Amino acid sequence: MNELTSSIALLGAMAAAGDAAHAGPAQDYALHCMGCHGATAQGVPGKVPPLAHSLVRFMNNADGRRYVLRVPGAANSMLSDAQLAAVLNWVVGQFDANELDSSTPQFAEQEVAANRRTPMADVLATRVAVLKEIAASGPVPATGY
Amino acid sequence: MQRLDRMFESSARSLAQRTSRRSFIGVLGQILTGSLLIPLLPIDRIHRAEAATAPEGSPGSAHKVPADAKGKSASKAYTEDQQSCDYWKYCAIDGFLCSCCGGSSHTCPPGTQQSVVSWIGTCHNPGDGRDYIVSYNDCCGKASCGNCNYCFRNERERPLYRLSRNNDVNWCMANTGSDYHCTVSVILGSAGS
Repeated sequence: MNELTSSIALLGAMAAAGDAAHAGPAQDYALHCMGCHGATAQGVPGKVPPLAHSLVRFMNNADGRRYVLRVPGAANSMLSDAQLAAVLNWVVGQFDANELDSSTPQFAEQEVAANRRTPMADVLATRVAVLKEIAASGPVPATGY
Repeated sequence: MQRLDRMFESSARSLAQRTSRRSFIGVLGQILTGSLLIPLLPIDRIHRAEAATAPEGSPGSAHKVPADAKGKSASKAYTEDQQSCDYWKYCAIDGFLCSCCGGSSHTCPPGTQQSVVSWIGTCHNPGDGRDYIVSYNDCCGKASCGNCNYCFRNERERPLYRLSRNNDVNWCMANTGSDYHCTVSVILGSAGS
């Protein structure tokens, strides 16, 4: 029920913005990501990896960025390249702004286009390898997925 | 006291002499038939539609249904019955309505747990002409409810290879108890254009 309350609160804020403007990344997150990753991007322990406190850590690493753009949920989503970039940037800004390094570039449409169409044969093995690389330089994203 | 008894006795006897049991049964039949017809009268139920358009959990924020929606309330396209598959926010549902199973349109029945993953889509409310973001959560942990009709509305559903856009999936899959019971439709907010 807590998650439901936070969903309503989040979507309430999104709706207030969405009414006046347009269907932006907040709404795209709700329609394409939130069903599994949750209202606060917390994921489901052991089932769905969290994006909060994780995505930003991938974002600060070159292989991590490529991994994020190729995971099935992102690469196969119905979002355009530009929309996917905007959603990823929105998630990091929304849930991990304090961890975001100012020197880290935002995801760009061209970067998404260059990576998402390269299939990732073994997601788990790729994730483990990327996590090992990230661990050498700072806090690691969530493990066990 | 005796005078009172006599008075009631004489009035009862007088009534019995003037009326027959058959006429009493006739009048009773008229009353029963009349009361059955009351729900068919054209009563304005638009205030219920107003309440239904409010995001759950946020009382007082009901969206106003325009006056011209009153005409639509009688039409099939504007069903206000939350136990009917035709109710607007069930536009993409595939399952049993929790409102028929001891819960409500947006809360799970006692003894079940709301699924931690869900399908989220949009539905158009003909009452106010706006689109709303709706989360379809299954209620889990008990065997299928089976009450009312099985609702099978699949607006904007995609084939199974679009897993997040497919409602044939048992969304209880990530819960501890993965038995499917019924489905709730939670309005999360209004959708931008």
